[in-house]
Amino acid sequence: MQRNVNIDVHHLTRVEGHGNIVVNVTDGVIEKCEWQVPEAPRFFEAMVRGRHYTEVARITSRICGICSVGHTLASVKATEAALGIEVTPQTKKLRTLLKHAENFDSHVLHVYVLVAPDLLGAQSAFALVPTHGEVVARALRLKRLGHEWGSLIGGRTTHPTTVVPGGFSKLPTVAELKALREKIVAAVPDLTATLETVAALAPAIPAFDRPTEYMAVSSDDEYGMYDGYVQTILSDGDRAKYAVADYRSCTNEYVAPQSTAKFCRNRLDSYAAGALARFNVNYDQLHPEAKKVAESLGMQPICTNPYMNSVAQVVEVVHSAYEGLRLLDELIAEGIKDEGLVAPTKYATGASAVEVPRGILFHEYTYDADGFCTGADCIIPTGQNHANIQRDFDALLPGLLASEKSEDEMRLAFEMLVRAYDPCISCSTHYVDVTFVR
Amino acid sequence: MRYLIGIGNYTGFDDSIGLRVAEVVGEAGLDVGFRAIDLGGNILDLLHYIGEDAEQVLIVDSARMGLEPGAHAFFAPDAVETRKELAGFSSHEGDLVKVLEFAAALGGPLAPITILGIEPDEIRAEVGLSATLERRMDEYVAAAVAFFGESQA
Repeated sequence: MQRNVNIDVHHLTRVEGHGNIVVNVTDGVIEKCEWQVPEAPRFFEAMVRGRHYTEVARITSRICGICSVGHTLASVKATEAALGIEVTPQTKKLRTLLKHAENFDSHVLHVYVLVAPDLLGAQSAFALVPTHGEVVARALRLKRLGHEWGSLIGGRTTHPTTVVPGGFSKLPTVAELKALREKIVAAVPDLTATLETVAALAPAIPAFDRPTEYMAVSSDDEYGMYDGYVQTILSDGDRAKYAVADYRSCTNEYVAPQSTAKFCRNRLDSYAAGALARFNVNYDQLHPEAKKVAESLGMQPICTNPYMNSVAQVVEVVHSAYEGLRLLDELIAEGIKDEGLVAPTKYATGASAVEVPRGILFHEYTYDADGFCTGADCIIPTGQNHANIQRDFDALLPGLLASEKSEDEMRLAFEMLVRAYDPCISCSTHYVDVTFVR
Repeated sequence: MRYLIGIGNYTGFDDSIGLRVAEVVGEAGLDVGFRAIDLGGNILDLLHYIGEDAEQVLIVDSARMGLEPGAHAFFAPDAVETRKELAGFSSHEGDLVKVLEFAAALGGPLAPITILGIEPDEIRAEVGLSATLERRMDEYVAAAVAFFGESQA
């Protein structure tokens, strides 16, 4: 057993933004075991105050470059709830299709670029190019499909332009939808190869179970990506439902001393959001092909191993591909109607919930009689997962100490755990810092 | 297709200059003969624009090059070495130079790529631009648009 451990991971890599892992054990006594989030607040809720409802989604989309489709959809939906706008069935289908594009794209990125290096013993996806070139090429082909899929429906995948309150500012043509359908069908061999890769790597996923509460959007109509109510499930199968408008009653944000981001809790002292939570809450509504994949990867609800979130993402990639095909078939059969934007019927307060790749996302806005925003609230999934990551740390460390693992192996176990949640702590800077060599 | 691709963080003050140049070019309808793309911070998506389908790519980004704040320079990716110290390779913890090296390592054909670097005055968590860069925005837009005119001629 390790008696002395000192792990200090400052700015964990292959996650979005900055998070620290600090573990100190002296003479077998745990002195500190913390998931720290030192990110500075970015005040988006303040930025949208005073802005007209037509501008708000364009601003809040900037909260995240990876989940900008989800933030746009959550923002537009909350605005529509506040303004009494009921969008058409065609709009709902196209937005759900767009939501699947984002999850497909983001999950492929996370599993192949951020998680696979851990399982293959590489520092980064860059290092995989010489040894696993075909795997990297396949990842990029799938990611490109997600990108083209999102670009067609959303105008662009990063900060979409066509999704506006009341509908769409630009619609795809039936011919474009047919072409997209062909591309998704053509990707099936790459999806099959992905499953084979994940199945081969699955033994490297740590065995660690910690039951918690799982929260996701649920719907009577679908797996719960775009719309519905809030539902949670405990490891014994006990469920609870909440109206989206009452989201504060199930998120219960509070301030934790080691974090600048707020923590959340509900029926237990923490809960999980993300692909694993959706899988546990909405398993019955997974596409049959995705269920087959889950079974082949040895996964069934209620799965309580947080490292399996990455496997749940692979299951969802398959779900999104087949649900995408189903939605495309319906839209192609019905034809695309040139619908105008649905106009506001009131100006009040409205909330929304959307599933983004990392979990359930809430937006809420209040508008004055002229349509200008007077208040906003956004609760992102990574924030909701911080407390659960901390509880996982608390449960993981004693087992690691009792094992014969080295400090480096323990560090990797903690890093892999955090990366499994696919945290998106913030958008960091992207400037270039260079020296001219010629 | 030829692309002008703006990269950066909209809430990173001068780190947003690439996005703003792409935005101004697009909104003013100056993207004739090329397409202006606001890629945000999702720089791995750059890989979808620099393959064999593309004829030419100009990437506009905030760049610490050791020049005066506000100065701009065109350079090829292989003319520089990165000084960023990122242990990993992430989608957000981004390094444009590393992404371009990654693309080259994949071995496929790449479009001719040029970077228009703009020296930031200040990078901090805030929406907006420093007065130094704001004042010279027209100059950056003109330089970016002229790049495509000149390269076509």
